[in-house]
Amino acid sequence: MKANNTLMRADRSASLLWRRHMCDRLATGLSWLGMLIVVFMLGSILWTLLKNGLAGLNVHLFTLSMAAPGQPGGLANAIMGSLIQTGLAILIGAPAGLMTGIYLAEYGAGSRMARIVRFVSDMLLSAPSILIGLFIYMMLVVPFGHFSGFSGAVALAILAMPIVVRTTEDMLRLVPVAMREAGIALGAPKWRVILFICVRAVRAGIMTGVLLSIARVAGETAPLLFTSLGNSEWSLDLGRPMASLPVAIYQYAGSAYQDWMQQAWTGALLVTLGVLIINIVVRVGTRGGRS
Amino acid sequence: MSIEVPVKATGMTQPLDSTAASRDVQSPVAMQVRGLNFYYGTSHALHDISLDFPERSVTGMIGPSGCGKSTLLRVLNRMYDLYPGQRATGEVIFDKQNILNSGVDLNVLRSRIGMVFQKPTPFPMSIYDNIAFGIRLHERVSRSEMDGRVEDALRRVALWSEVQDRLSASATALSGGQQQRLCIARTIAVRPEVILLDEPTSALDPVSTARIEELLDELKTEFTIAIVTHNMQQAARCADQVAFFYMGRLIEVDSTARMFTTPREQQTQDYITGRFG
Repeated sequence: MKANNTLMRADRSASLLWRRHMCDRLATGLSWLGMLIVVFMLGSILWTLLKNGLAGLNVHLFTLSMAAPGQPGGLANAIMGSLIQTGLAILIGAPAGLMTGIYLAEYGAGSRMARIVRFVSDMLLSAPSILIGLFIYMMLVVPFGHFSGFSGAVALAILAMPIVVRTTEDMLRLVPVAMREAGIALGAPKWRVILFICVRAVRAGIMTGVLLSIARVAGETAPLLFTSLGNSEWSLDLGRPMASLPVAIYQYAGSAYQDWMQQAWTGALLVTLGVLIINIVVRVGTRGGRS
Repeated sequence: MSIEVPVKATGMTQPLDSTAASRDVQSPVAMQVRGLNFYYGTSHALHDISLDFPERSVTGMIGPSGCGKSTLLRVLNRMYDLYPGQRATGEVIFDKQNILNSGVDLNVLRSRIGMVFQKPTPFPMSIYDNIAFGIRLHERVSRSEMDGRVEDALRRVALWSEVQDRLSASATALSGGQQQRLCIARTIAVRPEVILLDEPTSALDPVSTARIEELLDELKTEFTIAIVTHNMQQAARCADQVAFFYMGRLIEVDSTARMFTTPREQQTQDYITGRFG
């Protein structure tokens, strides 16, 4: 297959041109293939979840707590537990992450301390989440002698924090020097310039980081196994074991009971839809840019 | 190379602007720079600068890129303090104090010596809050008083009629020229005594530039103004005295009329006529 070379000049190599055409075709083909594989996998996950999960979607799921096999039960306590633990985790992790990010971008900048903090934070970002669970188990479960929803929330907070640290630092670095100087030139102290000008300027980006961290921790199972443990009963007490959707899925999916397996599928569908909604909110929110 | 610098304020002995010709008296000096040296790390950027900024008049600072004029401007409000490794020696006398002293409260200093930048820098908040932000930093004012201060500042930069219906709209939605006038309004709302302008019109179109230049004429009745500009016509139009910088040195300073007609130094002559090597 020769390229159309009616425009070909005698002093240019026709074979080189042909090779380039082939390389181009090959690279384009490979990227299409990669894209199709990813889309197929995502599509089949979603399809399987919808196919198996929709059947169990009913009012009982949201109104009844978990029950023994064969008994009428739902996931209300697990849904509530997930909301509480994820919410508390963000309440702890997001401000801590925000402040650390501000330190890295504005105060530490090039210092040795900042380099160490950045390194540790990036390491946390990729640390296996079960390690975080074990760590909190040693810190907050063993000393108190019992599992608790609070320790689960702290484990999730540690997972959420480095995401917020990274986005906050990256975003603050985008603020033009001139904007900072303009604040300083009015006689504003540095902290006011950072909080009321710089952070404001990139608040959409920082919000994105927070939402992404919610999406990340909402589906975590491993760090909760050693911390909040799970609870088959309705409980809002942070000092006691607390149910959560991922742990309930883990428990139900490994069982041999039809109704539990059905609820595991539906629970998985709920988590996925929740994360999907957060991601859509992020997309829509950031498309608008700054208001 | 050491150059004799006329350190006495020249006032406005021969302004181009004939309306001011009657003001033959020497005006008092708002800021005095004496023996100023400035370093970016080890690089010596300003050499023994001595220059007076007469009160309520416009001092234009001209010279090729990298000559140190912006550096000098950033010394006058201690902006360089933000960056470790930058330091100044010598004296800058303002209100009987050497502002280079370490004991000076920089936030108070910067409320008295305002600065406007090359690129408009509206803050990511409403038009109203852009003005109110600076006022709130230094004063406690009631809501109604604040409304008055914001309106006053916007009127003085001739922006009020354009934005009075959308004070709560985001300032970033304004045009470049409007943004720059907003930045000037923000600066004067704090009621400084000196305003430093660092090429305030170089990012603007000719119409917006003309409006800012008109504005300077009005502002100088109340403020002492130092303006860095690359635009020689702008210096000629706006300034009462002009200082020419070259390679970190102040080559010559004189009234605008004399600078542009009979400069004493050959280098000045070459620069203003565009015959620069």
